[in-house]
Amino acid sequence: MIPGRSPAVPAALAALLAGALCLTLESVAPWLARFPANWTLPATDWAGTFLEWLLLGLKPAARWFSWLLGYPMLWANAALGQTPWPLMIGTATAIGWYLGGLPMAALGLGGLGFVLLSGYWVESMNTLALVAVSVPLALAVGGVIGVAANEFPRIKSSVQAALDVMQTVPTFAYLTPLLLLFGFGPVVGMIASAIYAAPPMARNVILGLERVDPEVREAAVMSGGTRIQQLLLVEIPSAARQIMVGVNQCLMAALSMVIIAAVIGGFNDIGWEVLLTMRKAQFGLALMAGLVIVVFAIVIDRMSAALAHERRRGDPRVAYGIVALSVLVVLVFQARLPDPSTLTFLDPAAERVDRALGEFTANNGEALNQFRNGAMFYVLLPLRIGLDEAALPFTWGFQWTATMSAGLFAAAAVAGACLALSGRAVSGLLLVIGSGIIETGIANLPWPFVLVATFSLAWVASGRRLAILCVALLATVLVSGLWERALLSLYLSGAAVFACAVVGGAIGLLCAVAPSIWRVVRLVCDMLQTIPLFVFLIPVLMFFQIGEFSAFLAICAYAIVPMIRYTRHGLVMTPPELLEAAVASGATPWQIMRDVRAPYAAPTVLLGLNQTILYAFAMLVIAALIGTTGLGQSIYLALGSADVGLGVSAGAAMAILALICDRLVQAFAEGRRTALGL
Amino acid sequence: MPRDGASSGPTVRAGGLWQVFGANATVALPDEVALGGSSADIAGRLLEKGLNPAVRGVSFDVAPGELFVIMGLSGSGKSTLVRCISRLVEPTAGSVEIEGEDILAASKARMTELRRSRMGMVFQHFGLFPHMTVLDNVAFPLKVGGMARRARHEKVMPIIEMVGLDGRERAYPRELSGGQRQRVGIARSLAGDCTVWFLDEPFSALDPLIRRQLQDEFLEIRTRLNTTIVFITHDIAEALKLADRIAIMRDGEIVQIGTPTEIVLRPVDGYVSQFSRDVARGRHAKVGSIMRTEGEMGECGGPGLRADMTLETALASCMSLYDPVPVLDDDGAVIGMVHPADLASSLQVEES
Repeated sequence: MIPGRSPAVPAALAALLAGALCLTLESVAPWLARFPANWTLPATDWAGTFLEWLLLGLKPAARWFSWLLGYPMLWANAALGQTPWPLMIGTATAIGWYLGGLPMAALGLGGLGFVLLSGYWVESMNTLALVAVSVPLALAVGGVIGVAANEFPRIKSSVQAALDVMQTVPTFAYLTPLLLLFGFGPVVGMIASAIYAAPPMARNVILGLERVDPEVREAAVMSGGTRIQQLLLVEIPSAARQIMVGVNQCLMAALSMVIIAAVIGGFNDIGWEVLLTMRKAQFGLALMAGLVIVVFAIVIDRMSAALAHERRRGDPRVAYGIVALSVLVVLVFQARLPDPSTLTFLDPAAERVDRALGEFTANNGEALNQFRNGAMFYVLLPLRIGLDEAALPFTWGFQWTATMSAGLFAAAAVAGACLALSGRAVSGLLLVIGSGIIETGIANLPWPFVLVATFSLAWVASGRRLAILCVALLATVLVSGLWERALLSLYLSGAAVFACAVVGGAIGLLCAVAPSIWRVVRLVCDMLQTIPLFVFLIPVLMFFQIGEFSAFLAICAYAIVPMIRYTRHGLVMTPPELLEAAVASGATPWQIMRDVRAPYAAPTVLLGLNQTILYAFAMLVIAALIGTTGLGQSIYLALGSADVGLGVSAGAAMAILALICDRLVQAFAEGRRTALGL
Repeated sequence: MPRDGASSGPTVRAGGLWQVFGANATVALPDEVALGGSSADIAGRLLEKGLNPAVRGVSFDVAPGELFVIMGLSGSGKSTLVRCISRLVEPTAGSVEIEGEDILAASKARMTELRRSRMGMVFQHFGLFPHMTVLDNVAFPLKVGGMARRARHEKVMPIIEMVGLDGRERAYPRELSGGQRQRVGIARSLAGDCTVWFLDEPFSALDPLIRRQLQDEFLEIRTRLNTTIVFITHDIAEALKLADRIAIMRDGEIVQIGTPTEIVLRPVDGYVSQFSRDVARGRHAKVGSIMRTEGEMGECGGPGLRADMTLETALASCMSLYDPVPVLDDDGAVIGMVHPADLASSLQVEES
């Protein structure tokens, strides 16, 4: 992959040496294996003390702001809660008609109809009220940030860096300091979702304004527009489509966050309902509440996505007609309209699901357990604590010994040497390093090895600057005492990313070859991407109970989508003339795939991998709700005990891990792109 | 500055214009200029510093009503030059006067006013506002100038008719062909009654046939308006066809300024003559450029050559003649003589 005089071989050698040294000196110098606790700085406490002091100072202002925001919240709640449901459904149908004709209108009608029948109408309206207040806030903040970054190029790069960081900070980590600032209550969820939803808006505004054709911009100048006129009359409208993509992403992020924020409780919304039923193991109801969320997400997503498409709008008169009709219905049936919270049409279905599920798990519990235990004992545990600790008589049937380790290393060394002799020195070295990692386990990796390996990887990917940055960031995690938890997080997300890369890559390949499969997979992908993170927990919990394996599955389900999409996209996007040239040279389809399409797709696939990694980290924290160890758990615990120091520093550590992975993969992708001249 | 007072001078005057891209260009350029040398020497030293001098000490005048074409290959700095004159980019050094007013000293507000009332510009890729109809696009300069909706629409309708887009005024740019789009661009640039009209490769993005059609229409529009025009092109044939005078640019400098005939018949160096090599000279050079006005004048008659005939036409009518032929003016009086041998030799393309 990397040409002859690349730094890959010395870098891999350095990592190998570091690992080998640590393993051999482990017994002599135990500080190599475990970072001594008395070397760490009480960074968490410092952060806690400082933040508490800071937040205390900000508190009066924050409380005032919270009080101020309470009003629009109240209004939105009243408006959505008091509006008779036929009018709400009618309005949604009318908006759907205007935005996308009959299919959208049907989506609006069917979607809200389902919500009504589910009996979760009131809770849904409460959630919607939160979104309705937080989204305008997020749009305004994001829009202002985006325009400001465009107007003042000097701040642009720092704004973009800040947006990058905000994207990698896990969602729960926002909540702890906000709780302290604003106190318990719906306003916290709203502000958290506004903070979380503003960056995508800002990003798209920046991108849209950047992409305005320079001649269009110049034409506005030469027409004699003042700067304000240029911006308002020409640049922003020209960027409308990209900005609408931002609005769409902003809406989805806000919805997702509002539901996540339900964990702090206190506002009777649909996210809380999911959490409650899940805790009570009422999976039928949890599934239904989850479905309500999904329906909401789909309706909001598809309708706001229609905004970004230049499509023919439906006749507004029909839309007004629909609204008028629903008003009529309200007036005529005023007294006889059922109270939506008493509707229980779907409860029997939910109960049946519950019962069926109970039967299913009772009948197949053995098989499910075996499956889960198999995956735990033979895959996840060895990855986490290494073969030397995971291979025990009662699971593997034998006890791992030092001789076996030596044998494994010897075999890996021989295979690696063979690879090196056949000219693939890097692969050989990586094989040996890999065997070492399997033997030790990711959570038990000696810290000097992790630092050296990261440094080497970053060096190969981009150069000294990135290498120093990565190691410096990792070192802060190390000395702050969060190292072991960070490794645990790294292990679980690493395992999930690896599984996603293999399975997702294979599915992507299949989709690229067979368009008929893609048509099905695409629907599933669209669906998975619209579902708020939270809902992924329901089905895995139903079948596999609380535990690391469930978390692993939930992470995979969420993070696999970009891998599939980007792999297919990269493979399909090969320029036709390249394919024609390959065919004309007499290449078979398989050869074309291996020698032309795959290398051409490599940068795109790497970007997909990058997204998968970021998604996995995002989901890791949510998955802490159903039992993971590591940073995610710390963040969640900090939320429960309002421990700002722990919440923020664990969140920062998580962001650091995500940021390092992001930079590394981006650098590799960039390298491939440059090599291909793209 | 009063418009009348300047009417006798050039409409556009550029003096010693430099546009240097790169960090600290405004500091580096005066230093290098102070060191002396030709503009090529200065540019060389700037390049060594990692700066990019796109326009290098360019000076020229454009007379009122003149159609001044700036011709150069891509990367020669011609587009940057026209952006300096219209102050879309801030020149690093030099002066630009429009109707005697130093526009580089003009305030932002004054610049906006100048653009509304004096300048119009047409862009290579049209620069149409995608979210506005043809009508709104054309009326945009009036809108930002604060004219009421009805008034501006009334004002631009004749312009839309002039460019042949009547009936399409409700269309959006995406619904138009390339040629139609550029007509919108032309109409928009004329909406503000400009006195200086900048056209940046207006026809380069079009098919050859549409290009010719629009060139002809452009000349037609030009006769109706009395604007001063700065026209950028990379196409020598277009330059020769349209221009009153041509400035040939190379590496950010103007190599030669002259009428089409001068450029074709008396190129200052090999670079300029390379352009005219592909051009059928006979179609661009006029009889007047090779006629002798001193010495013995012949009698009236002969094939009836005129000074503004192209060499090609002249040669066709003198094919069988060997003696000097008289050139006549409109009244039939002899104003000069042309020797058929001179005609033939000036058409000869040099081999090199």
